[in-house]
Amino acid sequence: MAFVEIDGLVKRYGSLSIFEGFDLHMENADRLVLIGPSGCGKSTLLRCMMGLEDIAGGTIRLGGDGYIQGAEDGRMTLDKRVQKDVGMVFQHYTLFPHLSVLGNLCLAPVRSRGVKKSEAKDKALGLLERFGLAERANFYPSQLSGGQKQRVAIARALMLDPKLMLFDEVTSALDPELVVEVENTMMELAEGGMPMMIVTHDMHFARSIATKVVFQERGKVIEAAAPDDLFSNPQQERTRDFLRNVLHIAG
Amino acid sequence: MNYEFDWFYVKKGLPQLIEGLWLTLELTLWANVIGLVLGFLVAIGMLSKVKAVVWPLTAYIEFFRCTPALIQLVWFFFCIPILFNVWWSAEFMGILALGLNLAAFNAEAYRAAIQAIPHAHTDASTALGLNALQRIIHVILPQALILALPVLITNGIGIFQQSALVALISVEDLMYQGRYISTQTFRPIETLTTVALIYFAVSFPVSQAVTLIERRTKRLLAN
Repeated sequence: MAFVEIDGLVKRYGSLSIFEGFDLHMENADRLVLIGPSGCGKSTLLRCMMGLEDIAGGTIRLGGDGYIQGAEDGRMTLDKRVQKDVGMVFQHYTLFPHLSVLGNLCLAPVRSRGVKKSEAKDKALGLLERFGLAERANFYPSQLSGGQKQRVAIARALMLDPKLMLFDEVTSALDPELVVEVENTMMELAEGGMPMMIVTHDMHFARSIATKVVFQERGKVIEAAAPDDLFSNPQQERTRDFLRNVLHIAG
Repeated sequence: MNYEFDWFYVKKGLPQLIEGLWLTLELTLWANVIGLVLGFLVAIGMLSKVKAVVWPLTAYIEFFRCTPALIQLVWFFFCIPILFNVWWSAEFMGILALGLNLAAFNAEAYRAAIQAIPHAHTDASTALGLNALQRIIHVILPQALILALPVLITNGIGIFQQSALVALISVEDLMYQGRYISTQTFRPIETLTTVALIYFAVSFPVSQAVTLIERRTKRLLAN
């Protein structure tokens, strides 16, 4: 059994169909990067995996033991272990502005996991130290740069010891010069062996961090391969078209 | 204009005006206690999906927002004793009417603030494993209260000014004392100007403070 198994996923927004039977598997050692034209369902896929979207069909088995079972009547089964085992970082900074950096990191462990405040704080300070943010511990989100906010958001997700991390276009809202610090933090996590699924428009970053790249279009996987193969030698006509377009624009 | 100002009676009546001011402040305080607490509860009720809860609350809010505070006050004072056979003091009726009026406006301020918190924060809290109640208590409400604070203070100081209406039901507040002195001494210009300046002296610093607070809360909640 694979580490992540998505089978027959069905997701619709009213009459708009995003997925009609989408399948994707991922191994424990993988860092999977999803690429594809906007509107093809990359972000929706991550949101479904996090349990933020109602799914109309299929099953998602994630990381440890968590699973989500879709149902046509809108009453999907969401095993709470999903949110325990999976961490997510969003495109728009979603730090809680009324809490300090430390407060943001400690909220979930203390409130939803019953971790002692002092323990959570020690762990938070350790993480911030590791990310070079120790001196920002008592700052409020409004006092941080965009790059710092995203790194704090990553640290906040790590506080819960996720077995899988989801990154939904985490650098898209950043000024170009701030992108690198966030990407470096993700690289560091990757080197530490964290399984990840990443949605990004940055093809160079995709190539350097991925163990496997998935090109997705209109709710289907068109091609999935190791980054060097997919970028240098794409097998599908549509993959080639897409890469020609984005790399041309980017370069 | 050939008017000779004479401040003698105002000076003499100052202790009486100060006494009136104390009563005005007391009315304001209690109206704000009702307004802040009841307004909050009404706002929470308004966010419910149960129509049997939402409709009466909407009726209450709209009634108090769409009728003059003066008629509300006078109606409470004259009609409630007849309708319900209760004989409460004029002060109490004043506090009740002002408090219910303020609660209606505050409920809207709370509700708007709660609804202004980006949905992304709900998603982020869910992703962090917080349940619905924890999300509301630790993420949504604290931000909403910060966001609503300037409006709540503005509404609160508005009630301080509106409270002058209670003079009409013979509550001996600042306005009542001012009118009393001015008719007794035939010195309306001096007396009423002084009364206006006292209202101003209390309200102005608060409205300045609101500007500062607003700037700070905006900066804090900016993303």
